[in-house]
Amino acid sequence: MKGKFSDILQYVFVIRELTSREIKRKYARSSLGIIWSVLNPLLMMVVISLIFSTMFKRKIENFPIYFLTGQTLWGLFSGATNAAMTALVDNKTLLIKAKLPKHTFILSRVYTSLVNFGYTCIAFVLMLLIFRIKPSFTMLLFPICIVFALFFSIGIGYFLATLYVFFADIKHLYGIFLTLLMYLSAIFYPVDSLPEAMQLVINWNPVYLQILFARECVMYGHFPEGWVWIRLVIWCIGSLLFGMIVFKSKENKIMQTI
Amino acid sequence: MIVSDERERVISVKDVTMEFHLSTYNPSGLKDYLIQAVKRKIEYRRLFALYHVSFDVYKGEVVGIIGTNGSGKSTLLKIVSGALRPTSGKVIVDRKKVQLLTLGTGFDMELTARENVYLNGSIIGYSKEFLDKHYNDIVEFAELQDFMEEKVKNFSSGMVSRLGFAIATAGDAAEILILDEVLSVGDEFFRKKSLARIKEMIHGGSTVLIVSHGMNTILDNCSKCVWIEKGELRMVGNPKEVCEAYRHMEENENAVGA
Repeated sequence: MKGKFSDILQYVFVIRELTSREIKRKYARSSLGIIWSVLNPLLMMVVISLIFSTMFKRKIENFPIYFLTGQTLWGLFSGATNAAMTALVDNKTLLIKAKLPKHTFILSRVYTSLVNFGYTCIAFVLMLLIFRIKPSFTMLLFPICIVFALFFSIGIGYFLATLYVFFADIKHLYGIFLTLLMYLSAIFYPVDSLPEAMQLVINWNPVYLQILFARECVMYGHFPEGWVWIRLVIWCIGSLLFGMIVFKSKENKIMQTI
Repeated sequence: MIVSDERERVISVKDVTMEFHLSTYNPSGLKDYLIQAVKRKIEYRRLFALYHVSFDVYKGEVVGIIGTNGSGKSTLLKIVSGALRPTSGKVIVDRKKVQLLTLGTGFDMELTARENVYLNGSIIGYSKEFLDKHYNDIVEFAELQDFMEEKVKNFSSGMVSRLGFAIATAGDAAEILILDEVLSVGDEFFRKKSLARIKEMIHGGSTVLIVSHGMNTILDNCSKCVWIEKGELRMVGNPKEVCEAYRHMEENENAVGA
């Protein structure tokens, strides 16, 4: 039992060390440092609101909040998967020495993204107060939404990290894919302005589902509908299983190639 | 042989074969790969990095591993340390006790030396308490007292390898120490210091594996020598005899070459 416990402690220690490294590196040369994680979404919000809020005036109430909800969750997913993709290759020399399972490196990248998301949430809460969004009990569901986002990102992260070892090109391809997915996530436009066929597609988009979930429980004080829950659960389990199977089956090959 | 059986066996390499599939054509990317795959142009060449290698290492031994470049020495070390799984055969060793020290130490150049001690230490399995306790010893041994808050990118290669060696040999954590060409760098003074430290560790019950091209390092320090040539085990035994045979082969090959 004692061995298991110290293993877990070590796991936490490693992930914290790797994460603090990532954050130190990211902001090594900037004077504002991690504050950028708060400022960035706020500035984005101002710009996007200036441009789009009049366009959708009649359709979306509190447009800046509508956008910010989407943007923060999108940032979590794209940040986590993008960073996880290069986790194994970037840590080549450490991988050989690592005493813990190799996927720790992937998890630490996702965790780094979560820490960043935490800072972004400061901006988010601030805006909720400024726009006087009515507090409601459904807001307590927001952490569940983050768990959905994390599990989904971890699965995709496993898959991308494995693929990236064998094909570095995937980085560029994934960049294009992310742009496409972002426009399909209804971050700054109302979904009902899309043609019906398109709405069917978007209602299966995992990132959009997360955003929808968050908007329902935070902005509107609604309990998210059953179909949203079901689809999110399917995506999470599917992504995790898929990612883990791909990673596990290629694990030895990764060490040979890297 | 009779004497050996009374001692405690710490590493047992049993009939280990490592097969690599080398693609004769190296695709530069995904697109290229797909095109070639469709054209069925991708062929694999089988390469045995290790071929049915077996030997045992007993507690307190200092084993030197020699062989020409590309003979499979590093592959063997990676298998012993658990970074790679062999294609067939097995290695019996307690992975938790193994510390692998290679020239690529895995330091993050953008971080300070202190941060690197903790990051690297956590990866190779040291707990936070252990690192706190031994931090001063590490700094002192590496002779970097005034440099710990400096970024590692400003260090000379000698300083980097000193720090790497100091971390790997900290405390009495490493019961099995594997050194891959580490003793051939650094100044003469530090080399002596490192060798003294290794002797100290052996007295404390550690076992050491050394890969080196320097015959003298092997002759002066090892109690046993393993010679691997083109993936196959040539000879195991007294360092003097094995090195003699190895030299003999080299001379013969040179003669043939000339």
